[in-house]
Amino acid sequence: MMKGSQKSELAKREQRLAYKMLLPTLVILVVVALYPLVNVFVTSFTDKTFASSKKAEFVGFDNYKELLSVKIMKLPKVENEDGDMVYENPLRILPRKPMRYKEAFQFNFFGNRYVFGATNPDFLSSIGNTLNFTIWSVLLETILGLVVAMIVNIKFRGQGTMRTIMLVPWAVITVVSARIWEFMLMPTRVGLFNMIGDWLGISNGSVSFLTNRALQLPTIILVDVWKTTPYMALLLLAGLQIIPGSLYEAAKIDGANKFKQFIYVTLPLLKPALVVALIFRTLDALRVFDLFQILLNNQRYSMATYNYFQLIQAKRMGMSSAIGVLIFILIFVFALIYMKGLGVDSDD
Amino acid sequence: MTKLKKIGFYLMIALISFYLLFPFYWALNSSLKSEAQLQMTPTTLVPIDPQNGSFSPTFMNYASVIKDKQFLNGIANSTIVAVTTTTMALIAGSFAAFAMGKLRFKGRKQMLYVILAMTMFPQVTILSGLYAIITTLKLNAWFSMILTYMIFTLPFTVWVLTSFFKELPVEIMESANVDGCTPFQTFRLILLPLTAPALVTTGLLAFIAAWNEYLFALTFTAIEKNARTIPVAISFFTGIISRQEPFGEIMAATILVTVPIVVLVLVFQRKIIAGLTAGSVKG
Repeated sequence: MMKGSQKSELAKREQRLAYKMLLPTLVILVVVALYPLVNVFVTSFTDKTFASSKKAEFVGFDNYKELLSVKIMKLPKVENEDGDMVYENPLRILPRKPMRYKEAFQFNFFGNRYVFGATNPDFLSSIGNTLNFTIWSVLLETILGLVVAMIVNIKFRGQGTMRTIMLVPWAVITVVSARIWEFMLMPTRVGLFNMIGDWLGISNGSVSFLTNRALQLPTIILVDVWKTTPYMALLLLAGLQIIPGSLYEAAKIDGANKFKQFIYVTLPLLKPALVVALIFRTLDALRVFDLFQILLNNQRYSMATYNYFQLIQAKRMGMSSAIGVLIFILIFVFALIYMKGLGVDSDD
Repeated sequence: MTKLKKIGFYLMIALISFYLLFPFYWALNSSLKSEAQLQMTPTTLVPIDPQNGSFSPTFMNYASVIKDKQFLNGIANSTIVAVTTTTMALIAGSFAAFAMGKLRFKGRKQMLYVILAMTMFPQVTILSGLYAIITTLKLNAWFSMILTYMIFTLPFTVWVLTSFFKELPVEIMESANVDGCTPFQTFRLILLPLTAPALVTTGLLAFIAAWNEYLFALTFTAIEKNARTIPVAISFFTGIISRQEPFGEIMAATILVTVPIVVLVLVFQRKIIAGLTAGSVKG
């Protein structure tokens, strides 16, 4: 009996200490994050205009409906002026009221032709662009980051220099590094890549990396991989550092080769660091802004640049808040998948 | 290592270094070119004289950047803002991470998500809300930036450090307890030094993130132009030499602000080596 209450007294003390130590973070959180976040949620249900004194009105889910409404409709065959049978113009088929649907794309299914209409195809394609960008760039920089981290974890002459070199891309101011790449990617031989392509004879020296739709995303992904591999590598390096060397020795004695050591020792012990690095990189990639804004300049949107466009150019603050909330939800889903999928929060 | 393996290893290192450094080299190369040299077709790997093709770098971009008061001012502002942000994030973050990684309390898991949620909105969306807070609190530009930078530095710091505190064996806390340490003493005297590599790592990443931030800085220094940080100052370069966009000067400025960070990394990277060597912890 005595022992039990003593124990609970200890547990209570531990709990109190925990809350005390969380206090600074919580205070900062409340001051700096609570109001803006609540504000975004509230604004997303209004038609508030940016930088104007016009009174905002409550519009319910209208902003969300406009962003997310989609319709798939069958295109009938009709006769055109020349007497040929062609598919009907999607604009005639898609509903115009209460909101106007625009064609996103067409597809064939069991011999029929369908149109995929959306009230806001730009936003939907921005989601596609962002997901595509996120998956590829996070995957590539995780692999590359792991390789770099494992190399600089080995003791060799020049290790310190290499660790410094490793961080250079991350250290270059983001806005400027986008400009450096823009300059290197110029569609003439003034740009480095076209000069090299021409010199090697593999291109005519006028490849438009940033205006050719097929090249836009791969180009941006590669630029991002360059820029953020250091971030990944450094976080993973810190994770590698805390794996005790004795474990490798034990594995060696048990006859595990280098590959087996990697699979059975390195990866499991690296998992906590890897998950945190993945979550934060994914979160940043889903909000990618600078690269799309500077390199693609409204030719093609990411979710965040579309959000920016709605706010600054279209001045639709309610709409932009709704986009912000949707991005928030998407990011939250990703974070949950990582946490559950990789079993990080299962230990308590 | 056998000789062949060694050669392969260093070859790999050379390859990776080249990949990581060549855009930076291109910035250096461009910063040493005049406007005419920048537009040469085809572009050249080093600055050369268009007439006779001899090596001819120019330092006028650097000269004009160094004379620019905005630029020097920007370095000072960025340093103050980034150092303060990093310090605050590390202090508050390591406290919170200790609680989350090593103490048992109700609502631990939810707390992790709440802290993460703080950083899940795109910057553009929360800008107007933040602006309202700053006008209410009547903060100057420096404090506005420091406080708002917490949004992206603090959750990151808390999460990374939490994962490191969790890794530390419970036995350390127990033996410290036996020795008569209070939990807070255990944290400050024993656990914190052990997480030094993680502190340095997160500190460096947070520092650079704060140093490079653009959108918040642009907004909060709109009125107080003297408080502009480096990225904002560079974006406002009008160019002293150039008629159009001063690309050469922007590149020179980039080199000048990246070098101190590289030196900083060079100094601190020694600390990223195993803090958990045998002896302090036996796993």
